[in-house]
Amino acid sequence: MNKILIIEDDKTLSEELSILLNNAGYTAEKVTDFGNVSSLLKSSGADLILMDINLPGENGEALLQEFRKTKDTPVIMLTSRTAELDELISMSYGADDYITKPYNPTILLLRISAVLKRTRKTGQEMIYKDVHVSTLKGTLSRNGAEQMLTKNEMLIFRLLLDHSGEIVSRDDLMTVLWDNNEFINDNALSVNISRLRNKLADLGLPEAIETRKKQGYVLK
Amino acid sequence: MNFFAYIKDKKYTLLIRGVFYFIVLIFLTALKTPTVSVITVTGVLVPACLLADMVEFNRRRAFYNAVFSNLENLDRKYLISEMLPDADFLEGRLLSEILMDSSKSMAENVAVYRLQTKEFREYIEMWVHEAKLPVAALELICKNNPDVRAKMTGQLKKIDDYIENVLYYARSENAEKDYVIKEYSLQKAFGNAAVKSRELLQLANAEIDASDLDHTVLTDGKWLEFIIGQFIANSLKYAHPSRPLIIKVRAEETEDRVTFYFRDNGIGIPETDLPRIFEKSFTGLNGRKNPGSTGMGLYIVKSLCTRLGHSVTVSSQEDVCTEFALSFAKSTLLKISR
Repeated sequence: MNKILIIEDDKTLSEELSILLNNAGYTAEKVTDFGNVSSLLKSSGADLILMDINLPGENGEALLQEFRKTKDTPVIMLTSRTAELDELISMSYGADDYITKPYNPTILLLRISAVLKRTRKTGQEMIYKDVHVSTLKGTLSRNGAEQMLTKNEMLIFRLLLDHSGEIVSRDDLMTVLWDNNEFINDNALSVNISRLRNKLADLGLPEAIETRKKQGYVLK
Repeated sequence: MNFFAYIKDKKYTLLIRGVFYFIVLIFLTALKTPTVSVITVTGVLVPACLLADMVEFNRRRAFYNAVFSNLENLDRKYLISEMLPDADFLEGRLLSEILMDSSKSMAENVAVYRLQTKEFREYIEMWVHEAKLPVAALELICKNNPDVRAKMTGQLKKIDDYIENVLYYARSENAEKDYVIKEYSLQKAFGNAAVKSRELLQLANAEIDASDLDHTVLTDGKWLEFIIGQFIANSLKYAHPSRPLIIKVRAEETEDRVTFYFRDNGIGIPETDLPRIFEKSFTGLNGRKNPGSTGMGLYIVKSLCTRLGHSVTVSSQEDVCTEFALSFAKSTLLKISR
C-alpha cells in the first residue's frame, strides 16, 4: 500500500486529509512536529509527499529544494496562494504537482494517483479479471472479442477499475469527466454508464457494474 | 498675462502717480514756470514711468509664461512645483516657496494614504489566504462525510467565490505586477473554471458546448480562470427561468488575435444597460431584480483585462442571449525569441 506523508500545519486540514487518504486506500502519515521536518522528510520512506508551502518556521519551497538534492520521491505542493509565480517556483524546485486550496478532494486524489502512476512508470495496459484494458487503443478485449470504448466510457471504466470493489459516486465520476473536458450533465452520465454496461455485457460480463441506490456504482 | 491686465492691476500705483503729477503741476503753475518746462518735465516723467512698468512687466511675463506652459505640458499638474523656473523678482520667489511647501505637505499626506491602502491590501491578501484554509478543511470534511456533502457543497462554493472576488479586486486595483504572462491553453483555462463551478452548473442542469478551444493565448492562467469563472457565475445568476441554461464557448484565431467567445441563453442585458455593465457598482435593471448583484464581478473582469492587455466586450439580445468576447493579442516577439 502506498504511504503518503502529509506536511500541513493546519490541524483540521491535516486530520481531514489523512481521513480522505485512508478512505482512498492509502496509508497516511501526518507530521505533527515541525521542528525537524527536513530530517523527517529524509527518513520517512513515503511513496509520496503532500507539502504545504507555508510551514511554521520553514518555507516549503526551500525544504523541497533541499530535499531534492538527495531524493526523488514525488512531491505535491499544497498552497493557498493563487499566484502563478509560486507555481513556477515550486515546479522549478522539483515539485511533481501543485494544488491550490481549497482543492476539490476528488481532483486531489486523481492528481495523487496520476503522480504515483507517472513516477512508477507503469504502462497504459491494465487488467480487469480476464479483460485486457488498453487505454491507448481505447479498447476492452476478452477471449479474442474486442469492444471499442468512447473517451467518456474509458474514463468511467478506469475510475471504477481503480476503485474496484468500492463505491464510486456519480459526483466523483462527474468530477473526473469534467476534469477531462467532457462537460456532460446528469442524463448524459446515465447514458454513458448504460452504454458501458452494454459493451461489458457483449463481452460476457453483464453484471460487472452494480448500481448502489443513492451512493454510486461498484465494479465487481 | 498681457500688458493691459498688468497695468489694470497696477491701478493704485497709477492713481498715486497721477495725483502727485497733478500736485507737481499745480506747484509749477503757481511758480509761474514756463509752459516749455512743464511740457519737458511731463515728457520726461511719463515715458520714464511707462518704461519702468514695461521692464517690470517683462520680468514677470517671462516667469509666468514659463509656469503656464509647464502646467499645460504636465499630465500630473500637482508636480508643477518641481518644474518652476527661477524667478528674479520677489513675488515669483514667494510663489515658488509657497508651492514647494504646499506640495511637499501634500506628498506627505498622500504617502500616508498610500501606505494605508498598501497595508490594507496586504491584509486583505493575507486574510484571503487564511480564509481559504477553513474552506479547504470544510471541503475535505464534506468529502469524508457524504451525508452533509450535498447540502454544503453549493454554499461552500459560494463562499469560495466571494473570497476569490475580494482577492482579485485587491489585485486589480494595485499597481504591482503579481501576474506572470505566459502561453496558456484556452481549453485548460475553461476546463478548470468549469470544474470549479461543476456542482452549481449541474444543479442548474446546464448544458455546456465547448468547441474549438484548442488555442494557446498569452495570459496569466489564474487570472484568466477567474475571469471565465465570473462569466459562468453570471450565466448561472441570470439564467432564463423558463428554459435550461446552455453555455456555448468557442475560440477564433486570426492573424494577430485569438478571441474567446462565451455565450449563454440567459435573460440577456437591456440595451440601455449594455454600455455600463463594466462600471464599478453598476447593477442595472437585472441587478435590481436579482438581490445577489454587487456590480463588482464584471468591473473586476474589466480591470484585470486592462492590466493583462486583453480586451473584453459584450453583446446581448434581451431575453435571448448574452455573449462576452475576450480578445488576446498574439505576440510575434515571443516566437522570435524561441
